[in-house]
Amino acid sequence: MQNLYHTIRNTLRLGVLMLLLAAFASPLAAQNVRPPANAVNLDDGTEEGPSNALGNVSDSEIWDAFRGGDPADLLAAAPEGQVMTTTGQVWRLIREQYIRKYLGWAPLIVIGLLAVFYLIRGPMRITGGRSGKTIPRFTLSARVAHWFMAGVFIILGLTGLVILLGRPLIAPYLGLEANSVLASASMQAHNLFGPVFIFALIWLFIKFVRGNFFQWVDLKWIFKLGGFFGGHVSSRQFNFGEKSWFWMVILVGIVISVTGVIMLFPGLVEDVRWLQLSTILHALGAVGLIAVAFGHIYVGTIGMEGSLDSMLKGEVDENWAKEHHDLWYEEVTGKSATEEPTKEETP
Amino acid sequence: MSFLEIVEGPLFTFAAAVFVFGALWRVIGIIRIGRKKDISPAKASAAAGFIKGNFRHFLPRGIFAKRTMVHIVGGYGFHLGLFVLIFFGTYHIDFLNQRILGFSWPAMPRWAFLMVSGIAFSGLIMLWVRRISDPVMRLISDKDDHIGSWLTFLVMLSGCFALEQAHDVLRATHMLLVDIWLLYFPFSRLMHGFTFVLSRGNSGATYGRKGINL
Repeated sequence: MQNLYHTIRNTLRLGVLMLLLAAFASPLAAQNVRPPANAVNLDDGTEEGPSNALGNVSDSEIWDAFRGGDPADLLAAAPEGQVMTTTGQVWRLIREQYIRKYLGWAPLIVIGLLAVFYLIRGPMRITGGRSGKTIPRFTLSARVAHWFMAGVFIILGLTGLVILLGRPLIAPYLGLEANSVLASASMQAHNLFGPVFIFALIWLFIKFVRGNFFQWVDLKWIFKLGGFFGGHVSSRQFNFGEKSWFWMVILVGIVISVTGVIMLFPGLVEDVRWLQLSTILHALGAVGLIAVAFGHIYVGTIGMEGSLDSMLKGEVDENWAKEHHDLWYEEVTGKSATEEPTKEETP
Repeated sequence: MSFLEIVEGPLFTFAAAVFVFGALWRVIGIIRIGRKKDISPAKASAAAGFIKGNFRHFLPRGIFAKRTMVHIVGGYGFHLGLFVLIFFGTYHIDFLNQRILGFSWPAMPRWAFLMVSGIAFSGLIMLWVRRISDPVMRLISDKDDHIGSWLTFLVMLSGCFALEQAHDVLRATHMLLVDIWLLYFPFSRLMHGFTFVLSRGNSGATYGRKGINL
């Protein structure tokens, strides 16, 4: 709206200026403008073209004829045979005024919140320390599937952010040429790795779906806020937070994949509104995933002692398992998780 | 002379020469070492074992097939993918035609190029991730393995960046990395691209001579 207001205001100002210039220009022009000395008169007597080639139609009427669609109905179908659609203008405004302007803040806000949380709470240590005894948690193929997805996700995330935010964030500082180079490179890599992401998503789903269905025990986890602010919470192989992240990756991943394929092969859809919707959903889903991924990375690394072992070595410390996944520990070992934490044997 | 002209011209010629002579030097060196004379009577042909050993290793052993599935899928995906990309990608054929060979052959279509690229990238990432995830692989891997993997990945990635052919700097970056890769190849384990024939053959010949059915 603000943009429209500025446009109207500037147009009015320009119009007034033009009128003033026109009013003063005629007598001035008559006095000061002379043909140059070497000017040649091209009037050879031949007949000129029609003087009213555009007819008696004003510019605004011409553009109105090109453009179709109802500005009040964003979901209206694009009129047949129209060169421009109103939905296209609305899509452009959403992309420029909202997505490009505000979406990039989401990952930064999450990073900021995590930093504050870390400073206040610090890392979650294993109560009683490490036992020195480990139990297997993830198979090699599950770990490879996880890191494969992580690698592809990082490449797509970085290139996607350059494509989406390069113009407002890179161009003003590094210049248009640098932005153009980065955008070209990112676009090619993004298009190439996009189909790889679909493969990674399917692989991840097959490897991790077991154990990620929601159960009643997850309610306790929710009520106790995952134990992040103290207190013990029971969980099976995956807790509510991990399950939510898994399903978010899968479901949002499907949306990103479908919209990505539509953008990669625009001929698949006939209605341009699918393409417009795809770009918006793709950006929202991807940046949302990137933002939440920081939380996942935090808990998996510096936020919780011993959790990275599960994905690096495939094994976790017994005390870690008892503390964070007690029901899974009992299921795997057949022992009670409420026993005193095992102490690491000193040589 | 522009940077692109340097990396595609004299630097590429130098790197290619080092690659060819270095690889030949090492392969001939290995062959010249020869094998310790086996004085026991031969029960079967060592030459047949050499050939059989080479082909037999293309297939996984039944009992290990499941455990090494990531390795097999990743290995085949990456190596075959890379081979197809190098020799059937339009830009590569054009480069080889104009700079080295003077003749060309049909290239694969763009959609196939993108698909094969995806397979090759997937394979390489899977192999490297396995290298750092598997405790045994992690233990036996050293700097050379990681440099080789990452250098190959960067060559491929920079090639992917330059696909649009819109900016010389992207093409130059790709070619610079290709040059570095060619220079590094003969002095590293990337040489397995040639020496695998000898190592598989050596095992095959040893067992073949003893009459062991591979």
